[in-house]
Amino acid sequence: MEADQAVFLSAVGNHFLVGISRAMILFVVSAGLSFILGVLRVPNVAHGSLYMIGAFFAHSVTTVFGGNPLGFWLALLLAPLMVAAVSLVAERALFCHLYEREHLMLLLFTFALMLILGDLVKLVWGADYRSVTAPKILQGSLTLFSSPIPKYNLFLLAVGPVIAVALYLFSNKTRIGKIARAAALDREMVSAIGINVSWVFSFAFVLGCFLAGLGGALVAPTVSVTLGMDHDIIIEAFLIVTIGGLGNMWGAMAGSLIFGITQSFGVLILPQFAIVFPYLAVVIVLLLKPKGLLKSVW
Amino acid sequence: MPVASRKRILPVFNVLLLGLLTVIPSILPLFYIYIFSVIFVTAILAMSLNMVVGHGGLYQFHHGVFYGIGAYTLALMLTKTELPIWAGFLAGPFCAAFAGLIIGLFCIRLNRLYFAMLQISLGSLVWAVTFRWYKFTGGDDGIHGISLPDALLGIHRAYYVILAVMAVCLILMYRIYKSPFGITLRAIRDNPERCAAIGINVRMHQLFAIVLATFFAGVAGVLFVVVERSVFPDLMFWVLSLEIMIMCLLGGWFTFAGPILGAAIMVSLRTFAGVYTEYWTLILGVLLILLIFFLPEGVMGYLMKKIQPRKADS
Amino acid sequence: MKVNKSGFWGIAVLGICAVAAVSTVLMPPAAQARNIKVGIIDCYSGPPAVYGKDALNGFKLALESINKEGILGGKIEFTTRDTKFKVDIALNMAKELVLRENVDVLVGTINSAASLAVSKTIAKEQKVPFIVWIAKDEKITGAQGHRYVFSTSENTAMAGKAGGVGLAKKPYRKYWIAGDDYAYGHAIADAAWRNLKALKPEVEKIGESWWKVGEPDLVPYFTSIMGAKPDAVIFCTGGASMTNALKALKATGMAGKIPSWIHTAIDHAVLKPLGAEGPEGVMGTIQYLFYYPETPENNAFVERFQKAYGNPPGFPAFNAYLTAQFIADGFRKAGAIDREKFIDALEGLKVKSPVGGTAEMRACDHQAVYPMYFGVTKKVPQYDFVIATDILTLTGNEVLPTCDEIQKARGQ
Repeated sequence: MEADQAVFLSAVGNHFLVGISRAMILFVVSAGLSFILGVLRVPNVAHGSLYMIGAFFAHSVTTVFGGNPLGFWLALLLAPLMVAAVSLVAERALFCHLYEREHLMLLLFTFALMLILGDLVKLVWGADYRSVTAPKILQGSLTLFSSPIPKYNLFLLAVGPVIAVALYLFSNKTRIGKIARAAALDREMVSAIGINVSWVFSFAFVLGCFLAGLGGALVAPTVSVTLGMDHDIIIEAFLIVTIGGLGNMWGAMAGSLIFGITQSFGVLILPQFAIVFPYLAVVIVLLLKPKGLLKSVW
Repeated sequence: MPVASRKRILPVFNVLLLGLLTVIPSILPLFYIYIFSVIFVTAILAMSLNMVVGHGGLYQFHHGVFYGIGAYTLALMLTKTELPIWAGFLAGPFCAAFAGLIIGLFCIRLNRLYFAMLQISLGSLVWAVTFRWYKFTGGDDGIHGISLPDALLGIHRAYYVILAVMAVCLILMYRIYKSPFGITLRAIRDNPERCAAIGINVRMHQLFAIVLATFFAGVAGVLFVVVERSVFPDLMFWVLSLEIMIMCLLGGWFTFAGPILGAAIMVSLRTFAGVYTEYWTLILGVLLILLIFFLPEGVMGYLMKKIQPRKADS
Repeated sequence: MKVNKSGFWGIAVLGICAVAAVSTVLMPPAAQARNIKVGIIDCYSGPPAVYGKDALNGFKLALESINKEGILGGKIEFTTRDTKFKVDIALNMAKELVLRENVDVLVGTINSAASLAVSKTIAKEQKVPFIVWIAKDEKITGAQGHRYVFSTSENTAMAGKAGGVGLAKKPYRKYWIAGDDYAYGHAIADAAWRNLKALKPEVEKIGESWWKVGEPDLVPYFTSIMGAKPDAVIFCTGGASMTNALKALKATGMAGKIPSWIHTAIDHAVLKPLGAEGPEGVMGTIQYLFYYPETPENNAFVERFQKAYGNPPGFPAFNAYLTAQFIADGFRKAGAIDREKFIDALEGLKVKSPVGGTAEMRACDHQAVYPMYFGVTKKVPQYDFVIATDILTLTGNEVLPTCDEIQKARGQ
């Protein structure tokens, strides 16, 4: 019996770590979504598509570099930048003319963008499955809690907090970050003091999309890079942002952790119904805290 | 007065339209009759959603669930029980409305996106159960080839049944739209605080609107079984719910009949663009963007404005 | 007025759309009585697109030589529709092909639910032969089969049986079963376990785990399986999830420790993108490998395919190639473009397989009969990705359910 208990405990530890590492990717993606929701008040349905494009760009960059490990690290930087460029074009060409419209219209616009981007990815990259290889130092696994954990998941565990802190410093310590936060709370006020709100919005949108692309690049080595990735993530990201509190970056973190952990513990306790656990978590959180866990800007 | 003349023209127009729709099956090839049936079913669904989204101002983001519940109720009653078919026809909408009441009770306390996300979560739970419960719902395979009584079999008969039900539904919906309840609902949409201040029970009105809307979604679900004779979990997936919402926005969500037009555009586009290219979602996306820029009030909203340039009737 | 101006453009756009729609209504496809029309509904979007495209390529390649010869004085022409992996769209498109395009044969799709729906509500009703070419649900030609539905795909019963027969020859006793939590996963698991248990009664199932389709992170599942220390694992997963599973097998180090069997794990559409990262020692089953058997027919087929589409053919291409052969030879045997005669002709028909030998359309259940291969992944110098080695060939009759079993499943 003692052996069983040890097995169970090691499984708990393992599930916990893997759950959190999964949460880090969700965090990066939903932090971007939350940022856009907070500043622009736009539910960006195309966010999942940008995440998918990030993963495809990451694949292209690593392919260009062949087997060179440098390719992966460059992809982590370049893929999100390329996604940011795509979003900048979409924002300046089309989106920026619509900010005064009804929320549902903006939603309709991002939905249209999702349809277009989804097909464009198919046109550019085709339908084949693709795979991104992590550099040698991140391959294989380490033994923790007497069960193996892939090194890449540990890498994600380290990267998540770094990005969170960077985002925090950015939005609280830099001028542009402060302006963006102010615009989230009161856009009339910001424009009244002579700041071009349109550019602030543009910046916030592009930054949010950059994070979506980064999430895509980070997830690429663990999954198959394929069409349809957009659908898998977008609804999860929306739910996370909502339970965390719309527009609140730390809320996105809390929501991601709840999501990641309930998911991996669901697997452990009731694998048959693991699929419903995250939804159940959302229902419980929203029934107890109708405006999300942390303070919302909405 | 343009308004008075319009009041006289509208019934005539409607009767003519109904007459036309009654005779077209004898002219059109079979496939177009089928597509018309699909459009009618989708139109009822979009209209039912618009009762809460357009007129109620609620973020009903997972309306597809109620459509699915209506369809599954009928399908399960036909395949698992010996009950007469009309019992299934009644049970579908009522089950959907009951689900609408339960989910509505939870969601109604929240606002906008929070409402939307709670509804998506609750709806997804229903979807997940349907998807997983192989013994009862057929799981992800669904139930296909459901046998119907002879009166409903065949594309022609299904068309007439659906046309009749749609006509009844539209009349009922119009009555609701013009009723004091409907007017109050729109007033709440435009200014909930003021309505609450003059003693209107805002939540109660919204909840009632949800129940009515989900009832009609159930009707659409039942008719879906009549036209396709299949049910499957996709009916309850959030992508479909988003599509219905797009139809409302596309047709004009502040108008009464806009969603019908939206449904017609979406269904025809997907059917006929699909003939020429596998990239029809790209075309749909581009078209949507053009509409957002040039017809911000939806197609019907624009047409209404043309007809009565100054009068912004409720 | 501003509104009017922008409104004008909106109306113009709509007008163009309306004209386009009306013109499609008024111009029904030109009738060419002599050609055989095949309508293909399949998924060309999302993760399944890679299989849909491969099948389409296989079909096109087969038509090249078929149309050179000609059939009944005409050719085979085809038209495709993208179902987006949705059942309602599949039904829409299939009805359009049958009612508007008047196709003689329907072919499709990768989605089992859509295949069942089209089979039962369109093929059976409208009396149109429907050949399923990728979907693997055994109900299609099994419990829910009928006169108008055929399958050239290997189904879950065959795949499971192939796995069971292959595994029975291995020394493992304690098994764990894991897979995608949907109809496909469970059907494969049931069939594999049933057959394994029948052939080798001493095997023991020590646990099961199921994850949602498309689950991105399988590591927690794999570590709990490793903790239970089974002798071998039966995995029931497919498509894009397969890549995730193979990656997790490698990342957790499970591939080297516990042997596992996954149907289609040796599919190069999955293994090729992984490159050298593909795990070794994974057992898999499949009905087509472009490098085995090395018959002149197969080599020629691969060469033609590679030249035309830049990739070696996968199993969907094989299925589709057979489908084209069945359609061509079926109509030749029927002697007329007549749906009922075509169905009669197909029953028991034998066509040339692209790997050499023949494949038969079994009369009792309309299921194509061909051999399956059981192999183990390994790095070899010729390829930059892992391929199947130690290949065991299981004959078609060895892996198919018997006609009696089919009759029983259909409740006759």
